Amino acid sequence: MTSFNDTRHLWALGAFLAAVGLVGMVVRREMVPDDFGTKGPYRASALDDIAAQPSLFQADATCHACHESVEHERAGKSHEAVRCAHCHGLAVDHVAMARRGADDPTVTLPPAAEWDGDFLTKADLYISKDRATCLSCHEAVVGMPADFKKIDVAVHLEEQGASEPLSRETCFECHGGHDTAP
Amino acid sequence: MSLFELPILSTLGPAAAGGCASGGCASGGCGTAPAERTSENSRREFLKTATTLTLGAMSLTLLPGVTAGDDLLPLPPHGGDGHAPAAKPMYGFLIDTTKCIGAGKCLTACRVENGVPDGQSRTWVERYVHYKDGRVEVDLVPETGYAESGEVQPAAEDVLRAYFVPKLCNQCVDAPCNQVCPVHASIKSPEGIELVDTDRCIGCGYCVQACPYGIRFMNHDTGVADKCNWCYHRVMRNEQPACVEACPTGARVFGRVDDPDSEISKRLATVPTNVLKQHLGTLPLTRYVGLTDEVT
Repeated sequence: MTSFNDTRHLWALGAFLAAVGLVGMVVRREMVPDDFGTKGPYRASALDDIAAQPSLFQADATCHACHESVEHERAGKSHEAVRCAHCHGLAVDHVAMARRGADDPTVTLPPAAEWDGDFLTKADLYISKDRATCLSCHEAVVGMPADFKKIDVAVHLEEQGASEPLSRETCFECHGGHDTAP
Repeated sequence: MSLFELPILSTLGPAAAGGCASGGCASGGCGTAPAERTSENSRREFLKTATTLTLGAMSLTLLPGVTAGDDLLPLPPHGGDGHAPAAKPMYGFLIDTTKCIGAGKCLTACRVENGVPDGQSRTWVERYVHYKDGRVEVDLVPETGYAESGEVQPAAEDVLRAYFVPKLCNQCVDAPCNQVCPVHASIKSPEGIELVDTDRCIGCGYCVQACPYGIRFMNHDTGVADKCNWCYHRVMRNEQPACVEACPTGARVFGRVDDPDSEISKRLATVPTNVLKQHLGTLPLTRYVGLTDEVT
């Protein structure tokens, strides 16, 4: 039985493992966010980051706050559930300017833009008196509920005795926008 | 005769355990009678113990409360007296397929609200058309509705029935997408809403593959995972999600299910509802009215 005299190797191994552990601790401290795990297995401040995203799609109440007459015009009518934004855009800038204008009389609101035919348009506020807007909901399509008001344009115009060529604003010759009763 | 004394076990025993039958131990010291008996006994003991433990563990699952999981909806209990909402809000989403008209307003609203790139969607609307000859075809509602989209429509006289099914995140209580994230960028918020920490996501795409509903996708613009989060930022401000706000027919209903006076609670209490892919046991919070077997 020879005596064990290679302790130097053990010390080297120990020092190596300690160095690895130290580096690991430093790396972990750098990589793991400070607030990780305080609410759950995730970065807690991410909740606030995501919640900070601005709300773009306005509820009708925002519009009705100023446009009371439109609210009354639409109340109880079949189009009450149609959102302002469907025909007028998101109007984010319009609302922001109107709120500023409430305190500052020098702020004037620009007029509504012409609709460019794109529902994703970046135009802030527009008036789309275009049949595409109406038909995007009402054109008769297989799959619609039986009790929904479906329009087959050709049949509908013939029923109404219209003989004119179909214009883009043809719906508005008989129907209003806010109160759609003919 | 018990299971442990079956002849097959007894006869197999010595040959397998002793190892001397082949004459491999010429020098003695093995294969003596006491050693052989000890060996056989220990194996018999082992078999007894192992079988008992296995059967015992299996029988545990028969007990109520130890089963692997209840497939039914984990509808959160209403607050204490049945009226006051619980302290922590619990949200739910109800899709009424009998009300959807396929106008696509929800799709536009979601895209502009959340800045979703073209060609990708956090939510979509499927149309199921059952033909009279037995075929069932599914197509996607164009974002601006079918009007002037130029798509050829099925002839109404060939169609037995047809309906629209909006799809969005099911917000599974036991979400597979959450479990697979290697960097904890998948967040189950305290309200039960599944979120993506875009700062932490490394874009590996595991969650996209894990979601059984195909809700998650890799955002072309950001390069990281993206998904419907029920418009968490709006919900935190007590606003409705953009798609719900945009729906003109009330086909999408969102609200607190822990408040018995909310619209969704009343609807859930009166209308039979279902979830998608219930057999997967992911416990979705998004519930549907009027689902057929064809919808998955």
